Amino acid sequence: MGRKLISALLGVLIALALGALIMLLQGYNPLSTYAALFSFSLLGWSPLATTLRNAVPLILTGLSASVAFASGPVNLGQPGQLLMGALFATLGGLSLDLPPLVMIPVLLLLAMLGGAFWSGLAALARHWFNMDEFITTLMLNMIADYFTYWAISYPLYDAEAFSPMTPQIHRAGWLPEFGDFNSNVLVMLAAFGALWFLFNRLTAGYEWRLTGQNGLFARLGGVNIERNYLAVMLVTGALAGLAGGLVVMAGPHRFLKGLGANYAWDGVMIAVVANNGLVGTLLYGLFFSSLQTGALGMELITAVPGEFIQVLQAVIVLVVVAGRGRLDWLLERSLARQKARERAA
Amino acid sequence: MNIFKGLINGMIAGATPILLAALGGTYTYYAGIFNIAMEGMMLAGAFGAVLGSYFFHSWLAGLLCAILGSTLLALIFILFAVVLKTDEFITGIALNLFAVGATTYLLRQIFAVKGAFSSPEILPIPRLHLAGLEKVPVLGEILSGQNLLVYLMLAALLLSVYVIFKTRFGLRLRAAGYNAPSLDSSGVRTAVIRVWALLICGVLCGLAGAYLSLGYVTLFSENMSAGRGWISLAAVILVNGNPWGIALISLLFGFTDGLGLWLQQSLPSQFTAMVPYLATLAALYFYSMRRKRLAR
Repeated sequence: MGRKLISALLGVLIALALGALIMLLQGYNPLSTYAALFSFSLLGWSPLATTLRNAVPLILTGLSASVAFASGPVNLGQPGQLLMGALFATLGGLSLDLPPLVMIPVLLLLAMLGGAFWSGLAALARHWFNMDEFITTLMLNMIADYFTYWAISYPLYDAEAFSPMTPQIHRAGWLPEFGDFNSNVLVMLAAFGALWFLFNRLTAGYEWRLTGQNGLFARLGGVNIERNYLAVMLVTGALAGLAGGLVVMAGPHRFLKGLGANYAWDGVMIAVVANNGLVGTLLYGLFFSSLQTGALGMELITAVPGEFIQVLQAVIVLVVVAGRGRLDWLLERSLARQKARERAA
Repeated sequence: MNIFKGLINGMIAGATPILLAALGGTYTYYAGIFNIAMEGMMLAGAFGAVLGSYFFHSWLAGLLCAILGSTLLALIFILFAVVLKTDEFITGIALNLFAVGATTYLLRQIFAVKGAFSSPEILPIPRLHLAGLEKVPVLGEILSGQNLLVYLMLAALLLSVYVIFKTRFGLRLRAAGYNAPSLDSSGVRTAVIRVWALLICGVLCGLAGAYLSLGYVTLFSENMSAGRGWISLAAVILVNGNPWGIALISLLFGFTDGLGLWLQQSLPSQFTAMVPYLATLAALYFYSMRRKRLAR
C-alpha cells in the first residue's frame, strides 16, 4: 500500500509539474492558477460540497469500469449506459408522482434498470452470438447518444424550452439537499459500500476477481464463467445507469442535451489510473472532481480556459500509469541488487 | 441516375476517412499493437488541417499540419506504449481523451471560439478533375472530380497491400505481430518495427482527419471524429487486418452513411445518424456467425 501511494503521489506531482510547464510556455502563472483551482474546489464548505456532488457520477462510472475490467469484460459502454439510466429515471420522474420516500428509490432502481438494460444488450450479443463486447458497447454508446437525443427532441420535448430538453421531473423525485450538500453523495456511498462488500467479501465477487486474473484457472476451478460474465455486465451497467439517474435527480432535474458530458469517459480514465481498485477509484474520482470543479474558478480568476483540465487529466493518467510500471521496476531492481550484494558479502 | 450518383458519391465520402484510418490501423494490427488511438489521431489531424489551412492560406499546409498533428499523437503513443511499455489499451484511452481535451483547449486558445470554428479563410482540399476519366460513359462523373484525398486513399490502399505482403518491411511487420521474440532473435528489433507502424498509422489518420475538416466541409468542431476511429478499429478487427476486406467494409459503412442521409426524408435525423453504428453491429454479427460456422 505504501509503495502504491508513493508512486501515485509522485505521478500526480509530476503530471501537475508538466501542466505547470505547459502553462509557463503559454505565459500563465502556474502557482496562482493552481491556487485558484484548488481554492475553488476544496477551500470552504460550499466548494467542498460542490466537489463532492460532482464526484458522484465520476466515481460511479469509474466503479463500473473498475469492476468490469477487474473481472474480465471490457465494458466500455459507460457513456451509453449512463444516458439510458438518465433517460429511464427521467421517464419515471415525469410519469410517476409518489411520496418522496417511495419515489426516490423507485427512480434510482429505474436508472439502474436502464443502465443494466443497455449493458445487457451487449452481454446477450456476446452470450448468443459471441460478439465482442468491446466493440458492441462502443457502438451502443453512439446509438444511445442519438436515441436519447431523439427522445428529448420529440416525445419528451419541453415545449417551453429553446433547446432539446425534457420538462422537470416531479418534485418528489428531487434528491434532498442539506445546505450545500446534496444527498446524491449518500446514494453513491451506499452503492460503493454494497459493491465493496460484494466484490471483496462474497463468493460471487471472489469468482469475478478470479476470472479477471486468470479465466482458465477460474474455469478449471468450477467457476461458471458465462453466468458471471452476464452478472458483471449487468452490475456494471446498473452502476453507470445509477450515475445517470443521479445526475438528473441531483442536478437539473431534467434531461438536457449533452447531459452525460464526459462523465463516463472520465470514469473509465479514473478506473484505469486507479488500476481497477475500488478504493483507488473513489479517491481518484474525488481528485478528478476537484480538478473539474476548480476549473470554473481557474477560468474566472486567471485567464486559463477550463478545457485545460481535460488535457491535465489525460497527462495525469499517462504519467501515473507509466510511472507505476517504471517505479515498480526500479524498486525491484534495487531490491535484487541489495540481495545480490548480501549474498556476495 | 442522379439518386444513384448521389448514393455513390455519398458512399465514397463516408468511406474515405474510415478507410484511411483503418489502413493505418492495419499496420499497427499486423505489428501486434492494440491501437485504439485512431479516434484521437483523426481528431488531432482534423484540427491540424484547419489550423494549417487557416494560417498559411494553403490546403497543402493544412494537409501537412494534419499529418503533423496526428503524428504528434502517434509519437506520444510510441513514448508510452513502446518506450515506457505502458499498457496499450490505457495509453489509447488516455490519448483519445487527450485529443478531445487538447483540441477543445486549442480551439479556444487560438481561435477564441467554443464548439466549432469555421471561416472563409480556411481553404478546402481541391477536387481533382481528370480529363481522361471524365469521358468514360456513365462512370466518368464518379471517377473524376473526386476529392484529392479520395485518390490518395486509393493509392494508400494499393501501396499498403504491396508494402505489407510483398516487401521485406511488410514481412517484418507481420512477424512483429505474429511472433515478436523470433523476430527479435533474428536480429530485427520489434520495437523499431512497431515505431514505424505507429508513425505510418499517424500519417494515415492525419489524412483521414484532414478529409473530415477540409474534405466536404471547411470547419472544425469539437469531437468531430464522432466515433469514426472506433468504426475503423472495428473494421480492422472484423477482417483480421486484410486491406481488401477493410476497403469492402469501409465502402459498406460509407453506403450506410449515404443511406442514412437519404433516409432523412422519412425518419428523424437522430435515427438515420445511428445507421453506420448499427451497420457495424450487423457486420460484427455476421463475422461472429461465420467464425462460429468455421469452428464447427
